[in-house]
Amino acid sequence: MKKILVFTQIREEKVEENTLSLLNKLQEVFKDVEITAALFGKQIKEDWIQELGKHGVKKVYAINALELEVYLSRPYVKTMLEIIKETQPMMVIASGMVYGEDLIPRLAVHHGVSCAQRVVDFTLDGEDILFHTPVRDDQAIMITKLKGEIKFATTRTGAFFINENPTGGSPEIASIDVSFEPKDMIVSHVEIKKAERTVNLKDAKVIVAAGRGVGGKDNFQIIRELAELLGGEIGATRACTDVHWIEETYEIGQTGQSVSPDLYIGAGISGAPQHMSGIKAKTIIAINTDEGAPIFNYADYGIVGDMHSILPILKKKLEG
Amino acid sequence: MKIVVFIQQIVSTQVKLQGIDYFDTSRVTEDDLVINPSGKNAIEGALKLKDGHGAEVTAVCVRGLKPEKALREAIAMGCDKAIGVKDDSFYTDDPLLLAEIYVKILEKIGEYDLIFLGVEEQSTSSYAVAAMLAEKLDMPSVLYAEEIEVKDDILRVGHVLEGGRKIVDMPKKGLISCSDSQYFTPRYTSMRGILTAKRAEIPTWTATDLGLAANIVGKEAASLIQVSLSNIVIEKESYIIKEGEPEEMVDKLLAKMKEDEVKLGV
Ligand SMILES: Cc1cc2nc3c(=O)[nH]c(=O)nc-3n(C[C@H](O)[C@H](O)[C@H](O)COP(=O)(O)OP(=O)(O)OC[C@H]3O[C@@H](n4cnc5c(N)ncnc54)[C@H](O)[C@@H]3O)c2cc1C
Ligand SMILES: Nc1ncnc2c1ncn2[C@@H]1O[C@H](COP(=O)(O)O)[C@@H](O)[C@H]1O
Repeated sequence: MKKILVFTQIREEKVEENTLSLLNKLQEVFKDVEITAALFGKQIKEDWIQELGKHGVKKVYAINALELEVYLSRPYVKTMLEIIKETQPMMVIASGMVYGEDLIPRLAVHHGVSCAQRVVDFTLDGEDILFHTPVRDDQAIMITKLKGEIKFATTRTGAFFINENPTGGSPEIASIDVSFEPKDMIVSHVEIKKAERTVNLKDAKVIVAAGRGVGGKDNFQIIRELAELLGGEIGATRACTDVHWIEETYEIGQTGQSVSPDLYIGAGISGAPQHMSGIKAKTIIAINTDEGAPIFNYADYGIVGDMHSILPILKKKLEG
Repeated sequence: MKIVVFIQQIVSTQVKLQGIDYFDTSRVTEDDLVINPSGKNAIEGALKLKDGHGAEVTAVCVRGLKPEKALREAIAMGCDKAIGVKDDSFYTDDPLLLAEIYVKILEKIGEYDLIFLGVEEQSTSSYAVAAMLAEKLDMPSVLYAEEIEVKDDILRVGHVLEGGRKIVDMPKKGLISCSDSQYFTPRYTSMRGILTAKRAEIPTWTATDLGLAANIVGKEAASLIQVSLSNIVIEKESYIIKEGEPEEMVDKLLAKMKEDEVKLGV
C-alpha cells in the first residue's frame, strides 16, 4: 500500500492541532493510503502516540534522543532522511508551523526536487496531486504539481478541520538507528522563551485587537476601554508583542492564541495570514488607513481611516 | 565580515493584478516595482551587523523586471556593492532552481561569511528558498530570525516559534532568514546613500557568467509545475466605508450593523 509520512509537531505538550487536522484532510483526499508518522523528542509521551493512532496513523516512528529534544535542522533532517529511506512514502508532509516549513524544503533538496509550502487544499487529477497555495498576499491561488517519486509539502496553519470523533486504534511503534556527530549540533539550542499564557482568549465573545498601526504602548488604552465597554478582551499582533507594547499573552495567530469570538475588531492590523489563521469570528470589523490592506478581504465591515480618530468616536457613540 | 544579501524585485502587492493578466507585466510601471518587503528586512539585518561590527555588504537581485532599480535602493540604504543577475533562460518560480542559481552566484562571489534572505517572497510565495539554499550549501542556518546579537565568535539568534521565541547560537559563517520584527525594520535611504547609489556601478551577470547551461535552471528543469493561477474571489459580502469624516464613517458603520442586526458587544 502507498504511504504518506507525516512529520508530527508538538505544541504545549500536546500533538499540535494543525497536525491533527492535516491527518483528517489526508484521509478525506487519499483513499487506500497508509499514514505513517514521525515523532521526535527527548521523552516522547505514550499519549501522543495514541492520539496519532486515534486520528488515523497506522505506524509511528517514535525516536527518542537527547539531540532531538528541540527542533534543530540538522539532527531532524538526518533522522527524517533515514525514515524516508526505510518507508519509501509517496509524500512527506508537515503542518506549516515554523519547524515544518524549515524541515520539508531541506528534505526535498536531498531528493533533488522542489516542494509546495503553505498548501490550503489538495485535489486529485488522475494520478497527480494538485497543491493549492495562496500567493501575493492572498490575492490569488496558484495550483501546482510536483515531479519526483516522493512529493514534499507543508500545509498552512488553520487550513483544515480536526475530526472531533476519531475512531482509529493503537498504532504500530517503530524505531530507527541514527547517530549524531558534533557537526550536526553546530547550531545549538540556548533556550525557549515561552510566552506566558495568563489570559485565555479562547472563550472571549468580543475581541478588540490592535496591530502595529496602534503606534505605541500608551495607545493601547483606547483598545482596552473599547474592549471593556463591549464586554470583551483585547488582542494584538506579533508586531505589538515583539516590541512589548502589550503582554505576549494577547498575541493572536499561528504563534499566538486561536480565537473564535462573535465579534472581532481589528485596528491597525494589515491582516497577515499568520495572524488571520488564528481567527474564526462570526463578524470581523477592520479599521485601517490602507484600503489595500489584506484584512479588508476578511472583514464583514470596514472603515478605511485612522484608528486614532475612529476608535474614540466609536467609543463615544457606543457609550452615548 | 562579508555578507551577501539576496533580494528580489516584485510588482508591489498594492497593485492588484487581475486573473489572466497576472503574469502580464505590460501594464506594470517602474513605480510599481519594489524590493520585496522581506528582502528589505534582510538588508536591514546585514546593515545592523555592519554598523555594529563592520562588514562589507553585497546585495544581489535575481528576480525582477528592473533589478537595477532595486539594487540602487539597496546601496542607498547602505549596502556596499550590488550585483544584478538576469537571464531569460532562468525559471525562478521553482525555489529549488532559484536556490541553485544562488549557489552559482555565491561561487562566483567567492568569499563570504554570512548570507541574509527575507523569510518570504511575495510574488510566488514559495517560502522555501532559504531552507533549500542552506541545505545545498550545507551551511549552519536559522530561519525566521527576529533578533541577532553578536557574542564574540558566535551569533545568538532569536527566532519565531509557536507559543514564544527560540534562542539559538550559530557560527558567524551561516545563513539567516529575517522576519519583519521590529529589529529588522528597514531604515530609510539617506541623502548621501542616494548620491552614492547614483554613481555606483552595478554589474549584471548572466547564465553564461555563472557557468549555468539553460537546461539546468530553465523551465524544463522545474519540479514545481504551475498548473493554474487565479484571483481569489471573495465570497464574503463586505461593507467597507472608504470615504467621509471619521464621525460620518462611524455613524454609517453603526447604522449598517443595526440594519444587519449584528450586535456590538456581549
Ligand atoms: C513564522 C511566523 C509566524 C507568525 N505568527 C504570527 C502570529 O501568530 N500572530 C501575528 O499577529 N503575527 C504573526 N507573525 C507576524 C506576521 O507575519 C506579521 O508580521 C504581523 O501579523 C503583522 O502585524 P501588524 O498587522 O500589526 O503589522 P503590519 O503588517 O505592519 O500592519 C500594520 C497596519 O496598520 C495600518 N495602520 C498604520 N497606521 C494606522 C492608523 N493610524 N490607523 C489605522 N491603520 C493604521 C497599516 O496600513 C498596516 O496595514 C508571524 C510571522 C512568522 C514569520
Ligand atoms: N504578474 C506578476 N505579478 C507579480 N509579480 C510579477 C508578475 N510578473 C512578473 N512579476 C515579477 O517580475 C519578476 C520577474 O519574474 P521572473 O523572471 O519569473 O523572476 C518577479 O520578481 C516577479 O515578482
